[in-house]
Amino acid sequence: MKDPYETLGVAKTATAEEIRSAYRKLAKKLHPDLNPGDKSAEEKFKQAAGAYDLLSDEEKRRRFDAGEIDASGAERQHERYYKEYAQDPGGRRYQYQTAGSGFDDFASQDDFLAELLRRRQEQARRAPGADRSYELEIDFLDAVNGATRRVTLPDGGSLDVAIPAGIEEGQVLRLRGKGAPSRGEGPPGDALVAIAIRPHRFFTREGDDILLELPVTIQEAVLGGKVKVPTATGAVMAAVPKGSNTGTTLRLKGKGVPKRGGGAGDQLVKLKVMAPTEPDAALENFLSGWTPGPSYDPRRDMLS
Amino acid sequence: MIITKSEFLLRTHLDRQTLEVWIEEEWLSPEQADPEPLFSEADLARAGLIRDLQGDLGVNKEGIGVILNLVDQIHSLRWALANRIGSQTEE
Repeated sequence: MKDPYETLGVAKTATAEEIRSAYRKLAKKLHPDLNPGDKSAEEKFKQAAGAYDLLSDEEKRRRFDAGEIDASGAERQHERYYKEYAQDPGGRRYQYQTAGSGFDDFASQDDFLAELLRRRQEQARRAPGADRSYELEIDFLDAVNGATRRVTLPDGGSLDVAIPAGIEEGQVLRLRGKGAPSRGEGPPGDALVAIAIRPHRFFTREGDDILLELPVTIQEAVLGGKVKVPTATGAVMAAVPKGSNTGTTLRLKGKGVPKRGGGAGDQLVKLKVMAPTEPDAALENFLSGWTPGPSYDPRRDMLS
Repeated sequence: MIITKSEFLLRTHLDRQTLEVWIEEEWLSPEQADPEPLFSEADLARAGLIRDLQGDLGVNKEGIGVILNLVDQIHSLRWALANRIGSQTEE
């Protein structure tokens, strides 16, 4: 890094006013946005701006003069210059008015240029509106079965969103033409609706499968039997096999989440054996007269 | 990349009132939207340029409008020129 006084072309004794005016003179010549085609200007501007940052700060200048700090690292880091964005859609917007009639004089002598500018204006006129993003929270069962839900828009309007069956958390639905209107005569942008799914009291989801923990009685577990099981599409009867236990899992084929392109996942029903919550004299009587076999020790693995 | 007004203010270190003035002067023309206008990366860079002009370069209000207009014309011309050159090398 060069000496900052030298970079700005001022004497060591220069006043703050002299430093500022020297920098301004350089900046007018070197600012990258005022010299969009000159690559060397950008480098020189960084140096000049860095030197100015150092010398325009009284405390920094004092420390530099005293030799406490040097000029290294004093190059200004400019985040961005406008010239890098001028040809983006966002920057082009600012040029449309000049592109229209600003070059009539020589466009009339150059058919190609005239055509180019005409096309660009046409492009601007037909540019679509911006996309708008929304969020929609839906119930678990709406996500599984599909539904139509309404998004209320910030301007008071509303948007009906058709939710396809089997939609997943975080999925984004694109509603064509429901975004911002075009600034010209182009089509409106799209509405992007991000889906959030509220958890369900009983059901949870694992990919295309739905998990459910189903309490059963001791009797149902030991003897087996038909039980009513809730599913996403209503209750069904399912057979609990004889000799089931807590953790035994039943698979209800096709009762899970509909898959894109046909078919559906399964519902997995995990049984949970529940003793009666109220004291039951008959059960107590029976059990006190019952001697389990020697293999019935549920803590065998834990304590041996 | 769409930038909301509050994010724009945060990233440019501008206060609301200054931004209103810049938009009124048509130095910035963000996309009008409800409830607040939406900004682009180009608007962000343009705000940086306006700040440089006003601060470092000491350009007054009238000067900034003139400069921005000329800068826009330069970019239009540079774009047209680049296209013209591009089409000739293809021929």
